[in-house]
Amino acid sequence: MKNKKKFSKAHYDYLNKLHAKKLLIVFTQISILIVLLIAWELLTKYEIISSFFFSSPSKICKTVKELMTNGELIYHSRITLSETLIGFAIATGIGFLVAFVLWYSDFLRRVCEPYLVVLNSLPKIALGPIIIIWFGAGSKAIIFMCILIVIIVTILNILNSFTSCDSQLIALASSFGANKFQIFFKLILPNSIKDIVSTLKVNVGLSWIGAIMGEYLVSRAGLGYLLVYGGQVFNLNLVMTATVVLCVLASLMYFAVALFEKMVNKHFK
Amino acid sequence: MNLVELNNVNLIYQSLDSETQALQDVNLSVKKDEFVAIVGPSGCGKTTVLSIIAGLIKPTWGTLTVANKQPNLKENLTGYMFQRDNLLPWRTIEKNIFLGLEISKQLSKEKKDYALNLTEKYGLKEFLKKHPNELSGGMRQRVALIRTLALQPELLLLDEPFSALDYQTRLKLCDDVYDIIKKEHKTAILVTHDIQEAISMSDKIYVLSSRPARVKAVHTPKFNAKLTPFERRNTVEAKELFDTIWQEIQDEKQKEI
Repeated sequence: MKNKKKFSKAHYDYLNKLHAKKLLIVFTQISILIVLLIAWELLTKYEIISSFFFSSPSKICKTVKELMTNGELIYHSRITLSETLIGFAIATGIGFLVAFVLWYSDFLRRVCEPYLVVLNSLPKIALGPIIIIWFGAGSKAIIFMCILIVIIVTILNILNSFTSCDSQLIALASSFGANKFQIFFKLILPNSIKDIVSTLKVNVGLSWIGAIMGEYLVSRAGLGYLLVYGGQVFNLNLVMTATVVLCVLASLMYFAVALFEKMVNKHFK
Repeated sequence: MNLVELNNVNLIYQSLDSETQALQDVNLSVKKDEFVAIVGPSGCGKTTVLSIIAGLIKPTWGTLTVANKQPNLKENLTGYMFQRDNLLPWRTIEKNIFLGLEISKQLSKEKKDYALNLTEKYGLKEFLKKHPNELSGGMRQRVALIRTLALQPELLLLDEPFSALDYQTRLKLCDDVYDIIKKEHKTAILVTHDIQEAISMSDKIYVLSSRPARVKAVHTPKFNAKLTPFERRNTVEAKELFDTIWQEIQDEKQKEI
């Protein structure tokens, strides 16, 4: 693999070709973004499409600057980000524990199955009114909404991964006299680690959905609040700005998890 | 003295819409240091016999003793070797070899040294830090054997350990495993569908009938102890015995139809 042996010229040609293709892909990706932004800017500048309805890149930049100077951008982002992170952490943690318990006890797993199926197919937003009544119109309700959306998928994904461990490996461990905890920590967990990390990746997206949905329902602050408020007062600049900020934050969190995934995969190849 | 004894062991598998008798009055005994093979038509319950001796399944009725006791997984009296090597891909070869010791909480210096010594003796030492996917099938199966031997079991249960390998590797590994087992003075029970393999390696061969499995015949091949399994395959005795066992299994297959 990593041997430094001399390769034929054909091999270097092959590598160069791969490299060139990769560069072309990145170049095209960036070009598309730039072309779109310029087109958007020009079309709204000459009012071919209404800058009131569509905002424009320069107006978004201006709004970002304004919101930065008065501190609102940081304030709202921080609120949404913290709701998302808390929801993500709690849902992933509890989801993992529940998956473990359900893996451990075949009885409980079969008892809980129909409940999980129903909860999974239920659109969680339908519980909005109940959540507001239980938790009040604040961060608590939003975090709860976030957890609700993330946790079921976490349980189902991780449990599925736990139960799909090769039965031969389990027979091997049993032949060594392993108890269920040993089977879990020596086999099931390392075997599922990749699935768990990919569940984290899905959860990033879901927890943003949960937080924004929660903010649509009840909030007085946060990016979801900015979106709703901006929409109500027809301030499309604000709506677009909040959307862009949301995109950036969600991508950053996704890349953090992707980086973590890379590290894990390197360790558990 | 018999290390393993099965007296009229019966096993019935229960399922929702049927019950299947897998074993019927199986009597079997294995002396210490003996190499015993179990052959029979496919699906007759050969592996079931091993699982019972290992203590993975309890017989429905009948008695069995391993070293005068009920089989008990906790004591690690028996070591089980599977058809597939079942090496954990995320562990290095060294860590794979220590898996059994870890699970049975015997990860002492002596036991580790014993295992490492085996890897040195049988040509795996330079691969200790590698991962299973970097090794060939034959080497992986040898690692699996050493992982089993690391627990120093009295009795080795080999469940078609060569059948997933290509022919060339299989013959080579047969010799290697035979050599290791004899040198380490282990008792072994081999389940296989390969009659030649059974003849070439064992002191005693049990032929099972088709389901429900009974002991149909017992053979005790007599070979010059110096011959390797590979060399035994080409002897006249082996060929004659092959024909006999072949016919016995063929008769059983006929009955199924």
